[in-house]
Amino acid sequence: MSRTKVAAAKGDPSTNPSARWAYAPVAGSFDEAFLPSGMPRRHWRSLAVSIGRMGLDQLTRRWQAGQQLIQANGITYNVYGDPQGKERPWVLDPIPMVLADNEWAGIERGISQRATLLNALLADLYGPRQLINNHRLPAGLLFANPNFLRSCSGLTPPGGVFLHSYAADLARSKDGRWWVITDRTQAPSGLGYALENRYVGARTLATAFNGSHVRPLAGFLDTQRTALQQLAPNRRDHPRIVLLTPGPSNETYFEHSFLVRHWGFPLVEGADLTVRDNRVFLKTLTGLEPVDLIVRRLDDSYCDPLELRGDSVLGVPGLTQAVRSGHVAMANALGTGLLETSAPMAFLPSLSRHLLGEELRMPSVATWWCGQERERRYVLDHLAELVIKPAFRRAGEIPVFPGNMTVAERASLAARIEDDPEEFIAQEQISLSTAPVRTDEGILPRHVVLRVFACWDGQSYTVLPGGLTRVSLEASSPIVSMQGGGGSKDTWVMSTAAEDASAPHIPLPAPEPPSHTQAASSLPSRQADNLFWLGRYAERVEGGVRLVRALSPSLSGEEDFGQTATLETSIQFLIALGYLPAESKGMTIAQARWQLARLFTGMIYDPSRSYGIGWNLTNLRRVCWPLKERLSSDTWRVLQQLDSEFSRNPPSHPDQRQVAQMNLLDRVIVNLSAFSGLLAENTTRNDGWRFLEIGRRIERTLQMAELLQAAISSAPFDTEPSLETLLQIADSAITYHRRYFTTMRVEYVLELLLADEANPRALGFQVSTLVDHLRRLPGYEWDEEKPLPLALAENLLETVRLAKPEDLAARDADGDMPALDELVARVKTGLYDISNALAERHFSHLTATRLSF
Amino acid sequence: MRFLATHITRYKYQESVSQCVSEARITPRSLPPGQKVIETRIHIEPEPATLTTRADYFGNQITAFSVFRPHDRLTATAQSVVEVEARDPEGDLRSIPWEQARAVLAKPEDAETLAAYEFIFDSPYVAAAPKLADYAKLSFAPGRPLAEAAHDLSTRIYKEFKYKPKSTSIDMPLMDVFELRRGVCQDFAHIMIGSLRSLRLAARYVSGYLRSGANLQGSEASHAWLSVYIPGHGWLDLDPTNNVIPSSGHVTVAWGRDFGDVTPIKGIALGGGKQTVEVEVTVRPV
Repeated sequence: MSRTKVAAAKGDPSTNPSARWAYAPVAGSFDEAFLPSGMPRRHWRSLAVSIGRMGLDQLTRRWQAGQQLIQANGITYNVYGDPQGKERPWVLDPIPMVLADNEWAGIERGISQRATLLNALLADLYGPRQLINNHRLPAGLLFANPNFLRSCSGLTPPGGVFLHSYAADLARSKDGRWWVITDRTQAPSGLGYALENRYVGARTLATAFNGSHVRPLAGFLDTQRTALQQLAPNRRDHPRIVLLTPGPSNETYFEHSFLVRHWGFPLVEGADLTVRDNRVFLKTLTGLEPVDLIVRRLDDSYCDPLELRGDSVLGVPGLTQAVRSGHVAMANALGTGLLETSAPMAFLPSLSRHLLGEELRMPSVATWWCGQERERRYVLDHLAELVIKPAFRRAGEIPVFPGNMTVAERASLAARIEDDPEEFIAQEQISLSTAPVRTDEGILPRHVVLRVFACWDGQSYTVLPGGLTRVSLEASSPIVSMQGGGGSKDTWVMSTAAEDASAPHIPLPAPEPPSHTQAASSLPSRQADNLFWLGRYAERVEGGVRLVRALSPSLSGEEDFGQTATLETSIQFLIALGYLPAESKGMTIAQARWQLARLFTGMIYDPSRSYGIGWNLTNLRRVCWPLKERLSSDTWRVLQQLDSEFSRNPPSHPDQRQVAQMNLLDRVIVNLSAFSGLLAENTTRNDGWRFLEIGRRIERTLQMAELLQAAISSAPFDTEPSLETLLQIADSAITYHRRYFTTMRVEYVLELLLADEANPRALGFQVSTLVDHLRRLPGYEWDEEKPLPLALAENLLETVRLAKPEDLAARDADGDMPALDELVARVKTGLYDISNALAERHFSHLTATRLSF
Repeated sequence: MRFLATHITRYKYQESVSQCVSEARITPRSLPPGQKVIETRIHIEPEPATLTTRADYFGNQITAFSVFRPHDRLTATAQSVVEVEARDPEGDLRSIPWEQARAVLAKPEDAETLAAYEFIFDSPYVAAAPKLADYAKLSFAPGRPLAEAAHDLSTRIYKEFKYKPKSTSIDMPLMDVFELRRGVCQDFAHIMIGSLRSLRLAARYVSGYLRSGANLQGSEASHAWLSVYIPGHGWLDLDPTNNVIPSSGHVTVAWGRDFGDVTPIKGIALGGGKQTVEVEVTVRPV
């Protein structure tokens, strides 16, 4: 291939805008966009013109804007074992994959038929097994398949629908034909990414998108939701549907939260569900709520540690029996992983004729299952030309290419195939088509694989008019994998049909916070737990920032400038709060400054330092992940911003570092206020919000109690600078001076920061707000016996109210303040007990254990 | 012979268990020739919230139960009266050559062979391996009748492996047990099943009880042996732990591909901390 070839073939660049692409397809591959002559294909023409006019620089800017949008929306893909952290931003190429409508019609019919066929195949293999008994399918395909769940044999799902959602990976060979290379029947992923790609992609090339007749994607999820609701057993008017996820560390967790936002179903983990009397229930704050249908994103063998894999910690014990009893349905049905294998591909044409009475429309890549003698002979005779794969999908096993092996390696592979023939399949090597992809070196051809999606619509299978196009990293590499770091494309299916063309092209709406249907339902206990800790960590981050910000000026040397903390006060505070060892008192000024500067930098930037700001922020993010679908996209964006503020490296020069830190902390305080504001303004006053507030109040009470002790009772006699610093950390200096002018007295400070229930920073305010929230928790007003968390909190409020500032301020002969110390101790114990009582009552997470044999 | 088989399993937990869901396969099967269950009952303490029985994939009887109140001990007692007929071991040993049996299994035609065919494949605890095939071949000389060869293999395992309680755990890989040359009845059965499968012969795992006081290994707890499929004849039981062909002293409870399919009691408990389990089996003539 040569770059000049295209330019030469096209002639005058002014009549052919694609000349500006400087794009050269790979010789010998089918290129999606360009003919071998260098002219764009008909359905790519208008896009080729727009991009040609735009030029690479402009396209790159658009791409960057798109990637920012992806980052801001938190579209990520988790990579297993990635030391860099678990989320990786999704990579979207700005140039879409374009498919002509007539070609699409063929794919659509082929995929819909294939889903119907695979469903019929599952129904037979888990039912009467006529195909096996009548020798239409070799029995070994079933018996040797580790994904054949014997516990599910004989189970028929509602409506006979095993597959609710199905996906297939398609590849195009040199002659332009599409082939199915993989079937996904278990819990297909990628749909959420395909829809997000449209959301971002349509904005990246807004003019070109609006000027083309691209078929909209928006209706697909609604179709799927409606069909799911109809299939819930005990079909009630409002079936309770949940989406079961393996959890935030799953590679496609983003997609799980994306789907529930659209569907309005709760996102649950196995531990949120329980089986009682063969029925499934969701554990919520108000008790157990029955579940009718579980959309699972968990492999079926992990769904039930009792009957399926005993080592699974992700599932729900007893779930299979609940399904067997007909009280709950699963989508996809348990056992559908059976067909996540290429082994039956060779039988599909005859099965299609037998089961559907139709010819198979979409061919599969040529496949030989070595469990059959004749096929095995063929494979062993043609080893070098084929790809050898494990017959049944197992984690971590990859295809091998005998063509690249030494003679000895090939012989050893042949021996393994002879020993265990059922475990291997061979496939023809298929050359993937290419499509233009933006890179820093220009627009270059990359291999593509198209994942298409179908869902049960109540009558038959509807195919999403689009898909997820994935691209290889290198032109030479035929490996296309998101785990391996490839990119993706939006997929445009062009429309010529009148109704589609005349319909307004509304891009898919941005994901919204949970719909009212979800908000109205009871809060799952685990989410209450996470929200409680979200409140606590948010407050810890803010407390840390306020502390460092108030004490930092003492590093500058302008020590007795009145308003700011002195070096001595700072050291004393940090010793009292446990950040510095007690020996730090005797340091020279230079030593103290050095140690303080180091401490602050560590607290801000070092996420491994326990109780530092970075550490708390990491924890904040950790509890936010499982709450993703409950937080608005703005809230999520602020959180992303907070994260990126702290992920920058500190400047190396100490002076610069200090200025940078001060600026950083100022920005962070604003960000945190935005975070709290969004949570306060955008969250309905439901139980979830209350748990967040309870966490926040408990944490703020604790911080204030510790600060009062550090600034007053642990301080030397002359407490004026301490008190001034305390007021600053507590953001109450202005109120104090307006109220008491310049007189600095311990009683007044205690009045303002402890007793005053109208000051939102005062300890008394926190405790009385806490009591208020607890009183409104579900079930609290009806309980005959006062719930323990509330009883403890009321007790604590009583203690705080009875404490008189003048008594607390009294020092004994040794200069100690026993009354204040005792109060602080009682507050700490009280908070600890309240927190435990809440956990006991609401968040009970017991560890499941297997009975030993 | 008529027996009363009593199987008691007692769990004790260090901490309270708030709930437990469980599945038990502790009710003997009725077999068309040889074994008839006259009467059976199961008692769970504390009283379970739910208790249902059904047949599993292999036709074994399952008792599924759940307990939803806090408890720190759980006892499952199964009592069954079973009529067991003596079988004729000598007659069992006349059979077709093992290669012929393998050829019939490779192309299963009739329903019985098709059902047996399922047991030539790897299962979670027992996979075929070249080393196991080599081990089996010493008994499987060309042309030797399958039953005779299998019996010889069973005798070799009995002699070459040391019966040693607590020397292995169920999670130990099969090939480690093979190298170790010792174990308990599960291991003896698994090794032999793996060896037969390595020759592409069908073998299944059988759990059951031994008549008490018969001076055999494994009579005080639940026992395990295996069956090999002989085309045209049916399943032949072999007990490599005791070097016997099971007859009227063996009560069959359940069978499956390996231990995992027929675990006497499995369950998931919430809470509990450390647990201890005691199993007691008695089989007395009545």
